[in-house]
Amino acid sequence: MSQKRSYRPLDSTRDLKRTITRYYTLTRFHRYWGRPLGRPLAWVTSGAPVELLRAFKIHPVYPEQYGAICSTGKVTAELCQAAEALGYSQDLCTYATSSIGSLTRTDIAPMKGLPRPDLLVACNNICGTVLKWYEALARHFRVPLLVLDTPYLPGEITPQAREYVVEQFKDMTSSLEKITGRRFNEGELRRVMGLSDEVTTLWREIREYCRAKPSPLNGTDLFIHMAPIVVLRGTQQGVDYYRKLKREVGQRVREGKAALENEKIRLVWDNIAIWPKLFGFFKMFTERGACFVTDTYTGGWAMEIRDGDPLESLAATYTEVFLNRSPDFRARQLIQFIRDYSADGFVMHSNRSCKPYSLVQEVIRRKVMRETGVPGLVVEADMADPRAYAEEPIRNRVQAYLEALGA
Amino acid sequence: MGKYFLGVDIGSLTTKVVLLNEAGEIAARATGRSGYGGRDVARRLTAGLLDEKGLAGSDVAVTVATGYGRITYPADREMSEITCQARGIAHLFPGARTVIDIGGQDSKVIRLLPGGKVADFAMNDKCAAGTGRFLEVMAGALEVPLEEIGDLSLQAGNQCDISSFCTVFAESEVISHVSAGAPKADILAGVCNSVAARVASMSSRTGLEPEIVFTGGVARNSGVAASLAKQLGCGLKIPEDPVITAALGAALFARGLA
Repeated sequence: MSQKRSYRPLDSTRDLKRTITRYYTLTRFHRYWGRPLGRPLAWVTSGAPVELLRAFKIHPVYPEQYGAICSTGKVTAELCQAAEALGYSQDLCTYATSSIGSLTRTDIAPMKGLPRPDLLVACNNICGTVLKWYEALARHFRVPLLVLDTPYLPGEITPQAREYVVEQFKDMTSSLEKITGRRFNEGELRRVMGLSDEVTTLWREIREYCRAKPSPLNGTDLFIHMAPIVVLRGTQQGVDYYRKLKREVGQRVREGKAALENEKIRLVWDNIAIWPKLFGFFKMFTERGACFVTDTYTGGWAMEIRDGDPLESLAATYTEVFLNRSPDFRARQLIQFIRDYSADGFVMHSNRSCKPYSLVQEVIRRKVMRETGVPGLVVEADMADPRAYAEEPIRNRVQAYLEALGA
Repeated sequence: MGKYFLGVDIGSLTTKVVLLNEAGEIAARATGRSGYGGRDVARRLTAGLLDEKGLAGSDVAVTVATGYGRITYPADREMSEITCQARGIAHLFPGARTVIDIGGQDSKVIRLLPGGKVADFAMNDKCAAGTGRFLEVMAGALEVPLEEIGDLSLQAGNQCDISSFCTVFAESEVISHVSAGAPKADILAGVCNSVAARVASMSSRTGLEPEIVFTGGVARNSGVAASLAKQLGCGLKIPEDPVITAALGAALFARGLA
């Protein structure tokens, strides 16, 4: 597989590397500064309410992002095999199994595995697997596990659902007071939420630049430059990074500079990236002039953090995560993307690992095709496990799809 | 300048070549087992066709390659077999709106727009159930020549159930039916039915719109064709030579490129 990019690189990539390296250096050496400064380290799910944790000076670490790092580092299959040898099924989420595998295979795990957590925080707004995964981690590390249960939303959020989640936030707050020995400080929470809102707003604005024709960014840019929004929400570093990125992308739009040399087809992506084959896979599209102008996955972090009571606001934000919503909501979202970004089609990654994201795709695909008239392609693979990626059948489908779109 | 157009379809099991004359009529065609070197097989078949017609390589103006071997075959252009299949079928059956193609390792359903453009398609993924390979394995297990299993299956008195969707496990099921003393015809009826069921359920993803054309090597299997027609509840059209339709499409594209 060639790693050569057939599209214009971003200057911000240098800043991205610096920002992420700094975050992971702090993470790796947490044992030297965490305890003296009274700042515990938490492993958290991607949909955990990190603002509350940061208000308690907790350093959050993201095993899901680590799963993507393992995958681009080509060790996922071996880590999964280690977990499978312990009895975990090959059908489980490979972020979960590679994470569990990394506990014993520190010899091959990037950074010799993530540093030992002081606590674990799981929120089931993205899936149910995280509960069992984090329970396994809690047994392994013998550390407290805090769970936030966000009820699935068939329609809009109800007052009862919101109240149910707010009550849990209150419980979590008292648990965090006990664990960290710090008093809850609402002013600090508001400050962190302000920074979070700034970061997510910048991300939303950067994404919206891609409505321009030609698009200043391709899907791979979105996947790579989403790294800070996952781990640095609620921080000044996050704000600083996305201000720079926004400046560069805005400049591209003003100068009419495209991500691809020759943008002929505009597509929307659905689901997590295929990390083990990121460039090889997307090259099949870029070499035929097809650009992914937006996607549902990195769009998940363009959430709004509303004013008002901070716990109520967080309850709504984290319950309304798109993966916690109906197929109908998700179809409408995709339709809106296709219209707003003038897309010619959409590609769905049926991700063997991620059941809540993938199981309803066929229903969504049909609805979106019916309402927009643009064709949708499904490719079967896995976000992290290269064993689920069959190059030739995928190439065949992608080629046929692009031929039908006139590429 | 040559006046002939060549379509080469290097499939997982079979390689097909179709030669069109200037008027777009089939001048010659040939098929052979792909084996290890599909590209060499394609070259040999082409040389044979040209020989038979008394033509030289330079008489071929444009070549389009398709199928799994398309990328390494020295053609003027390579195209996916879905696009070529659609083109070939639309040429033979202008009223076709759905194509069901069961080949060696792929089964697919293609929905066509008038004119033969692809509107949508669905394919089997990472699994040989519902393909020609599945039938080949079962034919081997029952020691019945592949070409005979369709007709034999139609003589079934009491069709066996082959419930598994996995080729390997289905073979074990077949073997257990054999040990239980079931007649070959009954087991084969179950096998054909299983292939048809797999493809019928795939067709619900794209939707079915008549006319429906059944093509690919498995379309020659009367047992699968009968079971498919029954399960879909409608009639199927089968090309006279269902193996070469994607190669025909490739040749038609080659003619269009000239």
